Amino acid sequence: MANIESEAVDFEPEEDDLMDEDGTAIDGADVSPRAGHPRLKSAIAGANGESAKKTKGRGFREEKDSDRQRRLSSRDFESLGSDGGRGPQRSIEGWIILVSGVHEEAQEDDLTNAFGDFGEIKNLHLNLDRRTGFVKGYALIEYEKYEEAQKAISAMNGAELLTQNVSVDWAFSRGPSAESYRRKNSRSGRSQRSRSPRRRY
Amino acid sequence: MAAEEATEFYLRYYVGHKGKFGHEFLEFEFREDGKLRYANNSNYKNDTIIRKEVFLTPAVLKECKRIVSESEILKEDDNNWPEPDRVGKQELEIVLGNEHISFATSKIGSLVDVQSSNDPEGLRIFYYLVQDLKCLVFSLISLHFKIKPI
Repeated sequence: MANIESEAVDFEPEEDDLMDEDGTAIDGADVSPRAGHPRLKSAIAGANGESAKKTKGRGFREEKDSDRQRRLSSRDFESLGSDGGRGPQRSIEGWIILVSGVHEEAQEDDLTNAFGDFGEIKNLHLNLDRRTGFVKGYALIEYEKYEEAQKAISAMNGAELLTQNVSVDWAFSRGPSAESYRRKNSRSGRSQRSRSPRRRY
Repeated sequence: MAAEEATEFYLRYYVGHKGKFGHEFLEFEFREDGKLRYANNSNYKNDTIIRKEVFLTPAVLKECKRIVSESEILKEDDNNWPEPDRVGKQELEIVLGNEHISFATSKIGSLVDVQSSNDPEGLRIFYYLVQDLKCLVFSLISLHFKIKPI
């Protein structure tokens, strides 16, 4: 309610950048709520030599949903004050790592045994596949200290756990991923026509 | 693997309804740069909106992509799914590579609703994928912010 229309469109720096769109997902995300105008987007993407997207679903046929624009484009999303830099982001009570490639029959004990050596595990989420009831394939583990999490990553990334090699990495980051950052920069390097300022993260 | 990581990706899920407590909804989105946004608005008992955002590492985004790819949701179509109604609406929008889906359907109470629909196979995939995604998001949000997402 507090976020009125004027707040509705976030990322306005991108607004006059629209003609430079090459239809990447991020930019698509900013405007995607304009269901009913998918053609426009596809046309723009096509103009930049990117193949048009195959679209499917009611979302493309519906009336424009102004609500949708408001909901996720508001600016007052809380975060834990990251500085937008690189590297892992601390969570409110510790450091979270992601373990992927976890065997579907793994038990919590298997993970606590393998990851408890690096520090006390404050939290462990071993989520299940809702259809099969087996482990979905990933686990999230919280340590209190950065060093503990770092040690777990160094020691366990690529290690074998229940016959499968697991990948271990930080879960949260202080800023956008380098990959998309680079992509965005290279894009703006091309589009000299744009007067709009850089994105602010 | 590297090629997979380079594919375009965006995901947004919404579920909500408008009723006597106003517009109550839950929505989250994953962006390609890693930003996860989560919003939950319930006016019940004067509850207010929760809006959280955090950047995920490429590792988490990759896991999310894996869950989407393995579900094969992109092969489905919402043509024969129940239309959104007064009880509520769900939306699932995904961009993966050169495919872009934006599905909408009613709320699904249980597998009985899935079974009695005109496309039980497709709707079941949607039903389970949504639960798996919610499960991932709730874990991420609750671990990072120490809130109970619902």
